[in-house]
Amino acid sequence: MLQTPESRGLPVPQAEGEKDGGHDGETRAPTASQERPKEELGAGREEGAVEPALTRKGARALAAKALARRRAYRRLNRTVAELVQFLLVKDKKKSPITRSEMVKYVIGDLKALFPDIIARAAEHLRYVFGFELKQFDRKHHTYILINKLKPLEEEEEEDLGGDGPRLGLLMMILGLIYMRGNSAREAQVWEMLRRLGMQPSKYHFLFGYPKRLIMEDFVQQRYLSYRRVPHTSPPEYEFSWGPRSNLEISKMKVLGFVAKLHKKEPQHWPVQYREALADEADRARAKARAEASMRARASARAGIHLW
Amino acid sequence: MGTPHSRSPRPKGRRVLLATVSASAARGSPGRPVRSHMQSSTKRMGVMTDVHRRFLQLLMTHGVLEEWDVKRLQRHCYKVHDRHATVDKLEDFINNINSVLESLYIEIKRGVTEDDGRPIYALVNLATTSVSKMATDFAENELDLFRKALELIIDSETGFASSTNILNLVDQLKGKKMRKKEAEQVLQKFVQNKWLIEKEGEFTLHGRAILEMEQYIRETYPDAVKICNICHSLLIQGQSCETCGIRMHLPCVAKYFQSNAEPRCPHCNDYWPHEIPEVFDPEKERESGISKSNKKSLRSRQH
Repeated sequence: MLQTPESRGLPVPQAEGEKDGGHDGETRAPTASQERPKEELGAGREEGAVEPALTRKGARALAAKALARRRAYRRLNRTVAELVQFLLVKDKKKSPITRSEMVKYVIGDLKALFPDIIARAAEHLRYVFGFELKQFDRKHHTYILINKLKPLEEEEEEDLGGDGPRLGLLMMILGLIYMRGNSAREAQVWEMLRRLGMQPSKYHFLFGYPKRLIMEDFVQQRYLSYRRVPHTSPPEYEFSWGPRSNLEISKMKVLGFVAKLHKKEPQHWPVQYREALADEADRARAKARAEASMRARASARAGIHLW
Repeated sequence: MGTPHSRSPRPKGRRVLLATVSASAARGSPGRPVRSHMQSSTKRMGVMTDVHRRFLQLLMTHGVLEEWDVKRLQRHCYKVHDRHATVDKLEDFINNINSVLESLYIEIKRGVTEDDGRPIYALVNLATTSVSKMATDFAENELDLFRKALELIIDSETGFASSTNILNLVDQLKGKKMRKKEAEQVLQKFVQNKWLIEKEGEFTLHGRAILEMEQYIRETYPDAVKICNICHSLLIQGQSCETCGIRMHLPCVAKYFQSNAEPRCPHCNDYWPHEIPEVFDPEKERESGISKSNKKSLRSRQH
């Protein structure tokens, strides 16, 4: 990933500095907040490279370069940290994040280093928070964060709190959509909610304004897709599962949820059950493929330091 | 050589944790062993496991949590991800996470609510970027509304700004024009997101906002800002001496004058005229918490 520092004008940081534990006075070690005055910097201590300083002027020039490198390195680290925070906050809203947003609000004129910066940010997100940064839409360069921690059991979910009620409502809608053959007319969704005691534009103590929650939040967060049904006049709209739902939840899980609601077994609905089984098989295959390619990539990368 | 986990003497436990990381790596993403090796050669950094990650995720979801809730959360994270491990002392647990977060310029910060001294925790930015955490959540005019409310709160004597006064500034907002009706809803959004607290039509800063923005506030409003005479932190609500004008947080007053029959101003020695609140006691709090929530439900039924 970062093999040629010279071509980028930036150092390969931790690779050298930290392997040595930073104890032997390598001036490029990441404890670079100590800026030594240029005069003190003798020759060969610079960069650990074998460059005997020929003149005072040469030494000073080297020192200035080292200083600039350390500054650039710190700036890069800062930008990575800001990007991590930006992604976390954006993802909290669950709206996909575009590359142009990232450049506009965080990266700025380090735009050329975008691949490097986003790769590091992705690693922090993975190691520190347990999120995977996934490119959601290759054409439009949008990203989302996926939770890589093991999914919680129901009781665990309740204990830990969070978006419980809203996700419950989402499950009901996803269930309705699934049982109706993967799409449900808008009217049907509101009919179900009315039966649950909700009016679209009336404030609900758990969900706020249901219409806003569904139309804005769930659709924007890509849990639901909202489409116009062709050839309908007056125009009618339908809901289907959004891409995030497909990523985060399975048909089998939703069928299980519906089955529990009706106090029946999932097999009670043979069509949906068969579909859910096929979906499980697809997911297992996709997962196996992904793991195989990751392993291949990891072993290819094994010889090269990441950063 | 610098082992990353040096703060608490629990080497055995830590080695188990490292093993967990690599084990889960083998199960999940094969690239992981490279990472844990890299991390272990980094000086001073703690070790993250799924226990810590889940904890972080949930703390972020809630924005801010009270200490008893944080402890409960910590226990649940262990239960879910590492059932048989001993639960770290909360302080050590958080210090471990903070050592990892340091390179990201964020930390889990502990503070105390201004009204009754309850300890709270939030994930805050270490760098002084202004209302940065809010910036991606709110539109330009909404952020400006918050800034206006913030200024009124800081300038006020009580630390509270009335809804009316805030809404009267709606015409001065930057960005898209906002009507008063809309501004009311935006203020409610701030309350829901725990940036503001509302009490009887007046707004003050939530403990989370103080934790997150103290540095920014002190740098942006150096003349208007009030400081507590005891702890020297930012003061929004508190008591003040009527003679010399120094101020103290209510929990600071409680601690300073604890079991003092004749409370006197620490600065001018005049008699302290206000009621001395009680020091926060977590044990007592949990019992009264039950009756508090009963009171709340009674009130709502009356509507």
